[in-house]
Amino acid sequence: MSERQPQAALGRDDATDVLLQVEGLAVTFYTPRGTVRAVRDASLQVRRGELVGLVGESGCGKSTLAFAVMGYLPGTAATEGSILFEGRDIAQLQPSELRDLRGNRIAMVYQDPSTSLNPTMKVGSQIEEVVREHLHFDAATARERTKELLESVGLPDPDRVTQAYPHQLSGGQQQRIVIAMALACEPDLLLMDEPTTGLDVTTEATILDLVASLKDRVNAGILYVTHNLGVIARVADRVVVMYAGQTVEQAPVRELFKNPCHPYTIGLLSCVPTPPGEGEAATKLQSIPGSVFAAQEVTPEACLFVDRCPMAQDRCRGEAPVMSDTNDGHQSRCFFWNEVRPEIWGEAEPREAAHNSNGEQVKPVLTAKGLRRFYGRWGRKYLFFGPRVRPPVRAVVDIDFDVGVGKSLGIVGESGSGKTTVAHSVVGLVPRDRGDLDLNGESLSAAVEGRSLDQKAALRMVFQNPTSSLNPKLPIRHAILRTLQKFTGLNQQERGLRAEELLEAVGLDSSYLNRRPSELSGGQQQRVALAGAFAGDPILIAADEPVSALDVSIQAQVLNLLAEHQRDQKTAHIFISHDLGVVRYVSDEILVLYAGHVAESGPTEAVLSAPSHPYTEALLSAAPVPDPDADRTRIRLSGTVPTQREQFQGCFFAGRCPRKIGPICDHTPPPTRTDPESSKHVITCHIPLEELAVLQQGTVAKAT
Amino acid sequence: MTGQVSTKKDQPGRHQSASLASVSQGLRSVLSLCLATSAGRIGFCLVAIHLTLALIGPLLAPYSATSFNYFDNGDVKVFLGPTLQHWLGTDQFGRDILSRVMSGAASIIAVSVAGAALGIFVGTVVGMSSAYKGGRVDEFTMRVMDGLMSFPSLLMALLIITTLAFRPAPAEWIQPFWQQLLIVFTIAIVNVPRVARVMRSTTLSLKTQEFVQSARLRGEPASYIIFKEILPNTLQTLGVEMTVRFSYAILLVASLGFLGMGVQPPSPDWGLMISQSRQFLASAPWVALAPAAAIASLVVGVNLLVDGIRQAQGLPKESAS
Repeated sequence: MSERQPQAALGRDDATDVLLQVEGLAVTFYTPRGTVRAVRDASLQVRRGELVGLVGESGCGKSTLAFAVMGYLPGTAATEGSILFEGRDIAQLQPSELRDLRGNRIAMVYQDPSTSLNPTMKVGSQIEEVVREHLHFDAATARERTKELLESVGLPDPDRVTQAYPHQLSGGQQQRIVIAMALACEPDLLLMDEPTTGLDVTTEATILDLVASLKDRVNAGILYVTHNLGVIARVADRVVVMYAGQTVEQAPVRELFKNPCHPYTIGLLSCVPTPPGEGEAATKLQSIPGSVFAAQEVTPEACLFVDRCPMAQDRCRGEAPVMSDTNDGHQSRCFFWNEVRPEIWGEAEPREAAHNSNGEQVKPVLTAKGLRRFYGRWGRKYLFFGPRVRPPVRAVVDIDFDVGVGKSLGIVGESGSGKTTVAHSVVGLVPRDRGDLDLNGESLSAAVEGRSLDQKAALRMVFQNPTSSLNPKLPIRHAILRTLQKFTGLNQQERGLRAEELLEAVGLDSSYLNRRPSELSGGQQQRVALAGAFAGDPILIAADEPVSALDVSIQAQVLNLLAEHQRDQKTAHIFISHDLGVVRYVSDEILVLYAGHVAESGPTEAVLSAPSHPYTEALLSAAPVPDPDADRTRIRLSGTVPTQREQFQGCFFAGRCPRKIGPICDHTPPPTRTDPESSKHVITCHIPLEELAVLQQGTVAKAT
Repeated sequence: MTGQVSTKKDQPGRHQSASLASVSQGLRSVLSLCLATSAGRIGFCLVAIHLTLALIGPLLAPYSATSFNYFDNGDVKVFLGPTLQHWLGTDQFGRDILSRVMSGAASIIAVSVAGAALGIFVGTVVGMSSAYKGGRVDEFTMRVMDGLMSFPSLLMALLIITTLAFRPAPAEWIQPFWQQLLIVFTIAIVNVPRVARVMRSTTLSLKTQEFVQSARLRGEPASYIIFKEILPNTLQTLGVEMTVRFSYAILLVASLGFLGMGVQPPSPDWGLMISQSRQFLASAPWVALAPAAAIASLVVGVNLLVDGIRQAQGLPKESAS
């Protein structure tokens, strides 16, 4: 990384192929609550046949830019600059001309497929509507075209799908329908606004495959907006990075990941935990200090990143940088792009080697045996009478695990695998139906209301959604002071001081105590939630996807906070996440759940390297990795985790397993096999471990 | 609110003035909310007028509400149209209509407010507790509420009043107010299931939010969670409900008066005034119009005021925040 290697030029003089040209775009919203400068200065180009990835964190203006291209901004927005679609300025068009363009020549795919589809219309009619409106097909031709489209987006059995309503389809299928609608009129420009954010990792992988294949099949330019660098690495040809409403860097994708020329880009890249299979997670996560330049502030004559930049100099404070060429096809908004190196963010600190893969015998602080939780009651055929017909949902079935003092147990699995139920059962929010749960030897009662005060203080929880974790009508100090009041014996004055200490320990000024949650950002809210969890000096903290709703740079801050607290206080953690990279960074041991059963468990590195359960293997293969050259074998699972009401006859994964060996998987429950190299590593599979190790040689990296 | 200095411990002597100051500050902020929008201003005026009438109406009225008025020659001034001396004219007994309207405000407003408030209070407690508890208790309670709601409100009111009004009151001192109390009680019963339904649905959606789960994890008892954590988030809905309930309460009281179940004559009761003037509607319409306009302006005023307050809460604050 010490030299600048010029990458292949992208032939920027080929202007005839440019579909979208955005120059100096600025979008300002004038609202009763103030002026919001969503986009300050953005320029980019999309050519036919290429996929441009637009990446940035929340609030950087990327979605606003996409909506501006559609001409779909509300009346309160004022735009400056130009958006040229095939040479015509979108801003100058009449509404009728815009209507002609939209759906026909420019199409958009949105983030949430469930709200993008009309819930009262059959899916087939919705697609037909698009074709009939723009291409004026008659009914029969429209139906034919719909079938073709559904096949092209990988939905088998189009006859059944066209007759279905959106709620009868899974999230992945819904998103494919939305993509089919977007492609219906063979648009020239396809805009995609985070289309995979709400989907599971395995579903996301299949949708990304579809998007990647679209580039070859469809003669369109694609603008793909996302905050996930892994997704960008997989699908994009060129990348544009945005920060605080400005485009700060743009380059071909390999060039960007190998030679980033802007401090923010490097910061983003170093905030992502090393993906599993790419070497030990040996270094601490860097995080970008400070917070994003506020959208309400007037654009100063200076670099917007200057307050957070490690190489800020006087020139950066006095003069506003513009996008300047660094190489062919590579531009950066930094005066000193030449001097930008990964080391500007400081030497990566080595992590404490706290992970012993062979598990020294640490005393377990929490043990669970045979944990079981079903939801719902047996339904009766005639409401209150008659035979029992509808069994309850088997969310968690006979799970065993334990967590050692000061250790982290990571729980992974897709939605529906039972991870949240496990956390809620441990904490007592959802009473378990069966099973023993012991905290330091004491048995815990099923519901939190039945537990002693000490037990409640010892087991705390952090939730996924930081905004709803705090009462929106009450100031921050309420939750923290109440926790202190309940769990500690301090008097009022001492509680006030301790609350201030807690906030400072999570990096928030004590003046935040009087603020309402709505005045804080997502990351700050989550830190307040952490402060509340730390308040009672807990023995174990259950964190349910605590960073999933946060931006990458904030994730790193929160993860570092958790790790620091664990080191100091020797708190045990149960960390639930769907992001394998994060789980691997954080956990000492991992539990892989599928449909309420344990597929695999053991020390982190052992679980994430061969031999692994086929499900773990599929998860590892599906996760997007921020490296465009990552050579991953594609293992794709179809369908979703089943909602299981009946006991599995054989293996719980038999329905989707890519390594299914035959009828034995359907009829016989698989044995639990122990890895000879690591006594705590167990896999529940019919395939013997040696065979798995051989089969998975190409796909899962061997432990070093 | 931001901008406040974080509270340090007060010196003991400043407590009194601090609480007075905060009360007056609270009042001033409520006042500014009311007057911020045009809907709020109109509503505030109407409600203020009615409240003033309720409190000191008889004192302000030009004539007595019950005495007959005579010309100089001794004839009773019946069915006078609006004149300079009688702005709203006189009724069939020569009583000044303006004075009767002004004096009648007190009873109808007092009874409606009391009834609606009692109904809302009980309804909120029942609805929120039932939703929080969930399960069979919730099902059962809601079916009871459905049963109560299925009675037409006027019929239920008549039922209660006709059966109980002519029995002696449980205690001596209640007797003069017995009928009013029954009407209050009836309005409350009529409103409880409706309010309970609305508050239940709001609570159900809030119950699953993580801050409620956090409170459970802290070991807070159910009553604390319902009233300290969930209730502040339902105030918006509650405000709307209050308007609606109060409007219906007024109409119910007026209807009861119309049917002769309200305040007994000769005391002025708007509903009764309308009822008694039915016979003369063609010849002397002003006798009915005045009380009707009074009822309508009260209902409209309350609705506009609460609407205005809600709109004002959505606007940005003047101070830095």
